[in-house]
Amino acid sequence: MTQQRTLTEVGTALPPVTKTITQPKIDSYARASGDLNPLHLDPHFAATTQFGGIIAHGMLVLAYVSEMLTAAFGEAWLTGGRLKVRFRAPARPGDTVTASGKVTSVTGRAVVCAVECSSAAGEVLISGEAEVPV
Amino acid sequence: MPTLATAQKGDSFPPATFELTHDWVQEYVAAAEDGAIGRLTGGLVPPMAVAALAIRALLEQSGLPPGTLHAGQELAFAAPVSEGDSLTVTASVASRGERAGWVLMGVELAVDRASERVMTGRATISFPADAGVPA
Repeated sequence: MTQQRTLTEVGTALPPVTKTITQPKIDSYARASGDLNPLHLDPHFAATTQFGGIIAHGMLVLAYVSEMLTAAFGEAWLTGGRLKVRFRAPARPGDTVTASGKVTSVTGRAVVCAVECSSAAGEVLISGEAEVPV
Repeated sequence: MPTLATAQKGDSFPPATFELTHDWVQEYVAAAEDGAIGRLTGGLVPPMAVAALAIRALLEQSGLPPGTLHAGQELAFAAPVSEGDSLTVTASVASRGERAGWVLMGVELAVDRASERVMTGRATISFPADAGVPA
């Protein structure tokens, strides 16, 4: 209960989620999502692209933001949560990425958070805003 | 039926129905390693799994143009889903513009469980304008 009360205060940071991207995770996500773009699966093809190698699906990285919001807000996130993001840079196999967020405003009906995913080097991979009903 | 490469604003794709099978959910969980959803009661599936399913439906219905980049994503979750649920995905082109040889397209997605809406979303994608031109 203490955590729920705290998360309705502007400026509060959400507990972050950190994961390491691996090729097996990318392969699993490709099978689950049906997104078999060789940019995610074929190192030889990916090497010829603007990215110079394999990159993870953006939606896989975005899942870490959703996990953070599920942990912070519980079922409220699943029953009325809204998310709007831009994919700014790719994550690659071997990268460790962290999803983080901070409460930016609280209305009578929702908590609004700035959210992002960043690499260990500090590069912002995804940024945007989440809204969770309260 | 249009492909994504040739689709224009207002075009829609046929509904696709999927069951959230145990095997499919396990595949998704192996990829995303969502440790938070298991702390909720009721055997719920991570909400982003529903988003992945919506993307899957879109790709199976319309194909992914070569060189496609995912530029942005909006999602709104209306109800939690559980393993075994049957979900129907619909998709339509909300916007299409072209600049400097690249198409910027907004695709609206909706996911329903029977008559109950469980998720809506909008994917913004970009792909080379010549992706739909036969070689």
